[in-house]
Amino acid sequence: MEEYIIDIRNLTYIVNDVTMLDKITFRLRQGDNLTVFGPEGSGITNLFDIIVKAEAGFDGEAYYKGESIKKLDYFGQLLYKKDIGYVHGDYGLLSNMTVEQNISLPLEYHSKLTATEIKKQTEKVIDEVNLDHCKKFRPIDLTRSEILKTAFARAIVMDPDLLYIEHAFEDQCPLNIKTMMDILIERSKVPDKSLIIITYYPQHFIDVSEYFIMFFNGRIVFDGSNEEFVKTDNPYVLQYLKNSIEGPMVIL
Amino acid sequence: MFNRIFIYTGKKALSIKGGVVDFFQYCKAIIFSLRSLRYLSFRAIYNIIINQTRFTGVDALGIVMVIALLLGGTVIIQALSSLPKFGVEGFLGNILVIIIARELGPLATALIVISRSGSAIATEISVQKWSREILSMELMGIDTKLFIIFPRIIASILAICSLIIIFDIVAFIGGYIISQTVVYIPTDVFAQIIIDSFKFKDIIAAIIKSIIFGIIIPLICCYYGLKPNSKFEIPIYVSKAVTRTLFVSIIVNIMVSVLFYL
Repeated sequence: MEEYIIDIRNLTYIVNDVTMLDKITFRLRQGDNLTVFGPEGSGITNLFDIIVKAEAGFDGEAYYKGESIKKLDYFGQLLYKKDIGYVHGDYGLLSNMTVEQNISLPLEYHSKLTATEIKKQTEKVIDEVNLDHCKKFRPIDLTRSEILKTAFARAIVMDPDLLYIEHAFEDQCPLNIKTMMDILIERSKVPDKSLIIITYYPQHFIDVSEYFIMFFNGRIVFDGSNEEFVKTDNPYVLQYLKNSIEGPMVIL
Repeated sequence: MFNRIFIYTGKKALSIKGGVVDFFQYCKAIIFSLRSLRYLSFRAIYNIIINQTRFTGVDALGIVMVIALLLGGTVIIQALSSLPKFGVEGFLGNILVIIIARELGPLATALIVISRSGSAIATEISVQKWSREILSMELMGIDTKLFIIFPRIIASILAICSLIIIFDIVAFIGGYIISQTVVYIPTDVFAQIIIDSFKFKDIIAAIIKSIIFGIIIPLICCYYGLKPNSKFEIPIYVSKAVTRTLFVSIIVNIMVSVLFYL
């Protein structure tokens, strides 16, 4: 039986009487990578409420490695969140901690490693993302790309099976984050480790993700591989990639 | 006109009731989250405890000692100007213990801690919430109630307990120095008077007050720190944190004194 890391079945999510996600169904095998895109209000940011925040207020089913996300109790949710690495566009670094302390925080809190092992693991991740020159700095002293790298390093330091990246690469200088994109491509090739990328720029992740899903008005309007995404004649995808107001999507 | 007064009073009462119920839900959530202590390694909160103890206790030492010296001197000045009229200048030690050790010491220390650390805690938590740092911690599987509030409570208890002891000692010293300008009392006699005036329940009352203050100051300040939804609300809630913690501390002080001394 195939191992699905994320399995969403007929999920409907309503917030303040507005249907954010409307009977969506998709699956992601462990080791595969997925890019989810769509315009504002399409529901792509609401996936975060289900998959990362583990909100229970939805209809349908959502499974993580075969376990229902809806049925998690308070402590189950804490342990579940520990298993997922999350990077978002605000980055959320702790401003009273250095880069090193920010990165080692999940290990300090969750792991049973000794102080020496934590330091070693933290140093390894810092080297991977080229942050050695600023590891003693606080977030206020970092450049934007360094903040992204720190948030990314913190998300991967526990080596999670699922890394959820939400609008983290947007609003960055493409040259400065070239190394980050290379790291992301390397990570996408690791077997048993999956990525879910939520973005407004899916074309940047063709080398990263095997699968692409497009949302519009809370529904899935495109679901296919990266080759299908590149060659598609789906009107929604074409309108989105051409940045056009003409098409099936009415953008106000 | 009376209608308006009734409506206003009713609204205020309902708002207060809503606030109290919300605060108790918050306290219940914190007590519930103590169960995740088993998942927490002490080293994760060790730095927070150390830093908070340093900020609340060590960094406040200077101001506490100066205020203690001045207050001790003030009490003595008033006592020395009034007691001889009644022929009870021999009760100087008792007066110092009653006023400083029982009441002024704990309360003045709490006020200093509220104005320094309470406002700082509320502001720090508000800014962390606004900049989504708290959300980031929650999404890492960190129980933020345990991680943010619990170490601050431990640190505040340690700091306030120590500061109260230091406050009392320095106030007695200040009082003694001032008293020497009016009447000569040998140091060992003065010290003996103070020690004889101290009862075991004074020590217990001071410890209980320091523990309760150590709990309620970070608890209330973190509660208001988690309230703002935008950066413009931060000063409003910081101000509420300080004034309400002050109010509750005074009530708690009175209640403990009533319990022990009436």
